[in-house]
Amino acid sequence: MSDLKSQIVAQLNLQDIKPEDIGDDQPLFVEGLGLDSIDALELIVLLQQQYKIKLSNADEGPKVFRTVRTMAEYITAHQAQNS
Amino acid sequence: MYIRATGNISPQKTFGHPPMEEAPVAYAGNRLACFEPDYKEFIDPKLIRRMSRIIRMGVAAAMECLKEADVKVPDAIVTGTAYGCMEDTSSFLSKMVEFNEELLTPTAFIQSTHNTIGAQIGLMLQCNNYNNAYVHRGFSFESALLDGMLLLKEKEATTVLVGAVDEIINNSHAILSRMGLYKQGPVSNLEIYKTIPIAIGTKGTIAGEGAAFFMLASEASATDYAKLDGLHTFYKPAGVKEIERQISSFLEKQAININDIDLVITGKNGDAASDKIYDQLGQTVFNNSSMVNYKHLCGEFPTASSFAFWLAANIAKSGKTPALLGQSNSANKTIKRVLVYNHYMNMHHSLFLLSAC
Repeated sequence: MSDLKSQIVAQLNLQDIKPEDIGDDQPLFVEGLGLDSIDALELIVLLQQQYKIKLSNADEGPKVFRTVRTMAEYITAHQAQNS
Repeated sequence: MYIRATGNISPQKTFGHPPMEEAPVAYAGNRLACFEPDYKEFIDPKLIRRMSRIIRMGVAAAMECLKEADVKVPDAIVTGTAYGCMEDTSSFLSKMVEFNEELLTPTAFIQSTHNTIGAQIGLMLQCNNYNNAYVHRGFSFESALLDGMLLLKEKEATTVLVGAVDEIINNSHAILSRMGLYKQGPVSNLEIYKTIPIAIGTKGTIAGEGAAFFMLASEASATDYAKLDGLHTFYKPAGVKEIERQISSFLEKQAININDIDLVITGKNGDAASDKIYDQLGQTVFNNSSMVNYKHLCGEFPTASSFAFWLAANIAKSGKTPALLGQSNSANKTIKRVLVYNHYMNMHHSLFLLSAC
């Protein structure tokens, strides 16, 4: 999960935030890290670029991108399916 | 109409309205880069992370101008840019190639448009008024200024925020260098008007960039910089004779002649072919005029005339040429009327006339 946090910080250019500052279960949007809809698009691109995972169902977005842990679980599940 | 306030980020220490009594900053090489402020004082850190350098520069210059004018929301925002947000455009295009036209990051795409800075200022101010961006190469600033002047003249607005922004990035500098725009070899911005050693050559200028904003107002105030009397542009003149005619005609329309001008600011940039025009005018129409140059301060770029406009406004306000200019003014009298004559690559020619309030 620490790699994923570093990738999020880099992709979103989160200034003054270190990867270790982001809690595993901290909400990424609104009241948590305060991300917005453009950031959601950036996270979709991150999944495709780094993990070759294409989020085909937009309805999955809120669930997948809720926290770093939910993102990591989604990535792990997809990697297991593809291996 | 009046220039009520300014905000200028340039390769000189111009931001924050410091006294202009320091000598100009010297650069080695053919590329000048802006002095940038701590943006956190002007822009929400949450917004800064998405902004490329040119957007930060433009927004900060605009905020400085609004603050000085004490205007919360102007009646219109008009920007001019020739290159637009090149860093974002370059990033977006590079990723298109790198990722086979897939997996493109949305931020660089969204911010690559030429109206990004004007739009960003509008969003930050929650200003839903007239907002327009002009992308007219060497006339981009002039077109924005003309739009602002028309809005005031037609009473569509009483305050208009007008600005120009352009940046130089590694890619554009490399491409424009290959096209022969810039001097090769060791060169200093403070030396560009002098006789150039053969090793450097007489061809080419120095690359520049900047973000300059102005608050234009229809009514005078006690703190105005200058009165904006007129603006004129002309494209690809046939020769110096036609330029002379254009200048004379412009002054006639203002009901003055060249002897009424206390200072002429010209756009000399160190390129022999380009500067020849100014030299020839110096022997004819500007023969008896006090002339100074400005591109050693900001470099050459399509909206460099916005720096000249800023300089002219400051000179009209103080009545004298500042030490920042690094050139003495041969006239000893107080400067009350300033004419700016600039051309960009002998295609886009412009004249601004400003006078003291």
